[in-house]
Amino acid sequence: MFKKILFATSATPAGDYAARVAFELASRFNAHVSIFHVLGVPSRGFSQTVVDVRTGENVVLDDDYKSWVKEEIQTYYENQLKDHQASDILIEVGFPHREILRYAREKKPDLIVLGGSTDENDDSVYKRHIAGTTLQRVTKSAPCPVLIVNRPAASFWGGISSIVFGTDFSAASDVSFQYANKIASSIEDGELHMFHAVDISNIHSSLAMSQDKIEETLRQARNKIRSKYVSQLEGFKNYSIDVWEGLPYVEIVKYAREKQADLIIMSHQAKDVDDDNARLGSNMEQVIMRATCPVISINRHTSGIVE
Amino acid sequence: MSKKILVIDDDPNIIDYLTTLFEDNGYEVNSASDAQKGLELVKANPPDLITLDLEMPGDWGPRFYRKMTQIDALKNIPVIVISGLTSNQYAIQKAVATISKPFDKDQLIKIVKDTLME
Repeated sequence: MFKKILFATSATPAGDYAARVAFELASRFNAHVSIFHVLGVPSRGFSQTVVDVRTGENVVLDDDYKSWVKEEIQTYYENQLKDHQASDILIEVGFPHREILRYAREKKPDLIVLGGSTDENDDSVYKRHIAGTTLQRVTKSAPCPVLIVNRPAASFWGGISSIVFGTDFSAASDVSFQYANKIASSIEDGELHMFHAVDISNIHSSLAMSQDKIEETLRQARNKIRSKYVSQLEGFKNYSIDVWEGLPYVEIVKYAREKQADLIIMSHQAKDVDDDNARLGSNMEQVIMRATCPVISINRHTSGIVE
Repeated sequence: MSKKILVIDDDPNIIDYLTTLFEDNGYEVNSASDAQKGLELVKANPPDLITLDLEMPGDWGPRFYRKMTQIDALKNIPVIVISGLTSNQYAIQKAVATISKPFDKDQLIKIVKDTLME
């Protein structure tokens, strides 16, 4: 199901953990990996100089520089490229999120893999100006699922079998479910853990729910998962349903840790469609930042699976 | 009776080294070169402690750990992660210790003795 993977990277240590997952995933799914690097931000509209993402210095953009960057990337990912022949390296110039999204719309990869800013001392241009927003903007507008590996902890990946599907019962969650179900049911010993968190973070406000009310809401949500999703499992038995109350992102992260999940799949309800002001929903953002496994984000532009 | 240690690692040199080290310290040692064989051995003859590599052909260490801990009778067997991967301390949250290769043998033996409460 993932045949074309776009691995967008700054080719710095911040992307190492995502690289580990991207290539591991590619070998499991026999996928082609495009290592996609945006080599710099033009200093102004039609400028021939760019800001080098590693050094932060202005450099003249010419063929020599481009081929040098390509060689650097080839060297950086030498081991992965040696083991995984079906791959190529693509270099573009511009704002990373725009170039990644442009490529994704044109070439239609099945999955985009992004790393996070794992190094707090990283002082690169990406860290200071772009990384957070690149992740936000790509994740929010991508036409395909986006897999994010934000923490080193999320990169210990001997493949997938335990999948957590976090639902808020939205239309985008239906698409997330399609992916979660497809992955879990198509792999050997796949497990699908369907989860919903009832938000009681307003507990200290006047909106506080009684315990009876909370437990009633949990029951309703469990039944909703059962009626909405279980009927679509088509005989797949290795699933569980859980609904916990709390602060949603905390509960999802805790739940995934408890299930020793290999992957979290969830969607987000972002209403703002303006790319340049895009921000993720706070739950999605916090799950991405904190999860101990990779997170696949589905947005409302993400296409469902076409058989 | 001596305590049993299971070494799971895909590197035969590490298996040899750890086997000798543990046997010299009076333990009974068994070994497996991948997670699947490791799981079979754990089921057949539950050890008192496991040393576990992370990156191996087939299932990685964390998947072995998940499968093992899904079996009630085996879920409390202590695991020490021994791996060359960076940031390996995050790989298995409930591991009793994580040791990076190359490691100090005295430190490892101390952790083993502490874990087995000797």
